Amino acid sequence: MFRIDPSSDEPLFEQLVAQVRVGVAKGHLAHGERLPAARELAEALDVNVHTVLKAYQVLRDEGLVDLRRGRGTVVTGRTEQDLSAVERAMAELIRAARAAHLSPDATATLVKEAMR
Amino acid sequence: MTTGILLHRRLGHTYAGQVAISALCGLSLLGAAAGLALSWRDSLPDPVATHWSGGGGPDGFMSLGAFVTALVVTGVLLVALFSAIGVFGGRTASARRLSVGLNVWIGGFLGTVLTGSLWAQRGLADAAQALTPGWVLVAAVVGPGVLALVAAMLVPADPRQPATGPVVSGAGRADLAPGERAAWIGRSTVARTAVVIEVAVVLATLAAAVLSRTWVLLGVSVLVVLLTLTIAAVTVRVDASGLTVRSALGLPRTHIPADEVVRASVATVNPLGDFGGWGWRVAVDGSGRTGMVLRRGEALVVERTAGRTFVVTVGGAAEAAALLTTMAERARQEEG
Repeated sequence: MFRIDPSSDEPLFEQLVAQVRVGVAKGHLAHGERLPAARELAEALDVNVHTVLKAYQVLRDEGLVDLRRGRGTVVTGRTEQDLSAVERAMAELIRAARAAHLSPDATATLVKEAMR
Repeated sequence: MTTGILLHRRLGHTYAGQVAISALCGLSLLGAAAGLALSWRDSLPDPVATHWSGGGGPDGFMSLGAFVTALVVTGVLLVALFSAIGVFGGRTASARRLSVGLNVWIGGFLGTVLTGSLWAQRGLADAAQALTPGWVLVAAVVGPGVLALVAAMLVPADPRQPATGPVVSGAGRADLAPGERAAWIGRSTVARTAVVIEVAVVLATLAAAVLSRTWVLLGVSVLVVLLTLTIAAVTVRVDASGLTVRSALGLPRTHIPADEVVRASVATVNPLGDFGGWGWRVAVDGSGRTGMVLRRGEALVVERTAGRTFVVTVGGAAEAAALLTTMAERARQEEG
């Protein structure tokens, strides 16, 4: 399932990119699985087709998907690593962020900047 | 023509009536062809040529009466079968269109085969001189095919029937924030078993056509191949508008508006046991369920207003059902 929140500050294409990243990381999107055709997904989410194409291009640049003419967008990233350490640390982070009244977007931005 | 209009007035507004009209149309086409063939009795050789293979002359012969009878009996049996699909499973326009189209097509197909193959034999003393009527098979498939498409399009689409009651919970809900958009898109490909069986059917039909010299069977194998192609893969999409299921070829396709969804749930489907095979199907239990049934296993089941139920086999159906439930509820709120 793909979702888009137009009220979020995060650009629409970035929202899609994030979902595929998470999907691959958690193993919901398996290696070799095909993502929906850009036009179909754009229509279903009522967004511009270029938004979806841009998301797919970013994912290709990150090496998570392969774009092939006529064969669609195929997931190439794999994750077999154990994410439990990350999940434990994240639970801690979320608790601290809530205590500090940080919004999810603000928290994500802090994490992103710290990882640069 | 006048009879047709009168028939339409009397019967056209009921579902069984639409099917009955198409059965009459198909049988009239075949009946007219049979009448025409019999009227040529004096100028036709006896026996007549009924089968050609390869580029040579005819290699199958029958008396005129036996040839006409064989095709008419085949036509009546098939029209009865196709009508049963429409009458017992015709709660949705798609099932009635299938039934109506097939009724018209089979009548036209057999009628064209009958008259087309006899046309060239008029005036011949010996049927062995008859030329190979290669164009007949093409004309028999294509011509009535066009008529069948027109007939199917004349079947009125289901009227919009928004639900009046609340959505019945069938598979949980998707946790969407207000204003958040979501879409679920899945793909389903036809089971390998179905492909193997259909290839076997085509080969068997071809073999039967050659061995029994009943070249009408060639048309059947063409039809099986075409039908297999249309169901090779489908896309299943749940979004704010409801459920859309579309073949990779574009057709067949169907759409169920979110506000007509009464309940979305997950079920396990057995194509052969529940639907008598693979493809665009009407359930064999007479429940009127229609479905795009491509493989055994997980399926999204959508109960719709007016007692209609649609089934599509697809992996991850639970998530699709949950999102469709949420979208159906949103559609109610927008109206209320």
